[in-house]
Amino acid sequence: MIKSAVIGAVFNLNHPAHVVHWHFIKLPLANVIVIGLMLVAFAVAIALPFPGAARRAAARRQAGES
Amino acid sequence: MSGSTDRSWTVKVREKAVEALPPEKLLPDGQPTYVASWIYMFGVASIASLVVIIGSGSILALKGPAWWHYTGVGHFFNSIHMWAVELFFFAMVVHLWGKYWMSAWRGGRARVWMTGAITFLVAVPTALTGYVSQQNFDAQWISTQAKDGLNSVGVGAFFNVTNFGQMYSYHVLLLPIAVVVLVSAHVLLVRRHGVVPPIELEARLQAAPAVEAPAAAAAGGAG
Repeated sequence: MIKSAVIGAVFNLNHPAHVVHWHFIKLPLANVIVIGLMLVAFAVAIALPFPGAARRAAARRQAGES
Repeated sequence: MSGSTDRSWTVKVREKAVEALPPEKLLPDGQPTYVASWIYMFGVASIASLVVIIGSGSILALKGPAWWHYTGVGHFFNSIHMWAVELFFFAMVVHLWGKYWMSAWRGGRARVWMTGAITFLVAVPTALTGYVSQQNFDAQWISTQAKDGLNSVGVGAFFNVTNFGQMYSYHVLLLPIAVVVLVSAHVLLVRRHGVVPPIELEARLQAAPAVEAPAAAAAGGAG
């Protein structure tokens, strides 16, 4: 009961869903947020170097030269 | 033992399988350096989510479709199942976008791309049949909306989304089998054809294959 009250305080779900309406596009706000998060994740996945990738590439280049 | 083992179908299948996917390709020592990218982590995250979906779904199937309505444990597993589906789609879409913009069908990898894209398309009705199997007002709303949608595109005679038995069978058996088979085929095809190289590297390899090919082979060492 306490847990649901705390969660309820963060997310008030006791109302009809918010909808984003732009020209012919009509999407629930929750879906818009998820799509936005996917775009952010995609951009970050492209931009951020993978941990250890540069070190491994350098090691292989070195091994190829020697 | 029969002496005609050379004509046995098991021998033929084995030889074909080993020829298509030798053990060193199926379980390689390492991957080329360009595979060290977050885009592939999202592909692996999709598979990890699928494992959780199948595990939690199996428990839900064992206990029956109404279990999650009246027990806390059932509700917990239902939530695990639902959030794993959310993560599955999230990771799969990011992976799909990445592979689309990399033209991942290059170099004879059309089947790799198609199995991935079709997995996404088959996963959509797999999720839909799950939502309409919830046995609550949400399921009623979704199923009646989906019925209108399916009727409007002319396939309403084949699928009755308000038929719980039909939708539940689709959700726990037919569609999950299709998804697992497609994902397995996708992974095996990736192993067979290798991960698609970056466009720039492929152009360099085509321009000077004799010089670059040994270097590229070296890049495929221990990972």
